[in-house]
Amino acid sequence: MLVLSRKAGESILVGGIEIKVTEIGKDKVKLGIEAPKDCRILRKELTEIIAENRQAAQTDLPSEGLRSLLHRLK
Amino acid sequence: MKLKTRDFGEIELAEEELFTFTQPLFGFEDYKTFALLFDDELGDELVFLQSAQEPGLRFILSDPAAVKPSYHPPLPENAEALLGKGEYCWWLVTVVAPDFKESTVNLRSPILFNPVTRKAAQILLEDDLPVRSKMFEEEGQ
Repeated sequence: MLVLSRKAGESILVGGIEIKVTEIGKDKVKLGIEAPKDCRILRKELTEIIAENRQAAQTDLPSEGLRSLLHRLK
Repeated sequence: MKLKTRDFGEIELAEEELFTFTQPLFGFEDYKTFALLFDDELGDELVFLQSAQEPGLRFILSDPAAVKPSYHPPLPENAEALLGKGEYCWWLVTVVAPDFKESTVNLRSPILFNPVTRKAAQILLEDDLPVRSKMFEEEGQ
């Protein structure tokens, strides 16, 4: 992983994409991203959540009655 | 209106009972209209979020008050913009495992519902909470 230091207002260029540090807070950094419209920009944790949502949509109920399962597990 | 569901066949439902997602479930941006279906057998702790657009699409949600009683994350700033004013209901996306007690809930991005405005949204919380938290373990997971 390439690690660079930037001050507020400075940018990096990744391929055709510009990433600018717009604001530096106490525990957060604000980034501005200039990229073509067809470029998908996501917070990284979203990819995990999308995968989890997809898996959740596939799940089926176990054959044993869920209610009795819920009771047994309490 | 008639609604075709994944788990209950075709049911009768009033249109006003549907929820509109102002921030869709991540990865499911085309699906904006859902019904929340309860099953008497399951009681109040689990609910089915059934798509009104696609019969095969539904999510199982858990009540955090029942499975994670100490889960009280702060409301994100955009909650009111997404859902309108009022009291919101929180539900957790659940992955039901074949061995049911291994099932997990997503604490990082709960789904919030406003029963008055009928708006709903999947929210991404700032806190570093697990996306996969064991449903039946003690707090600390």
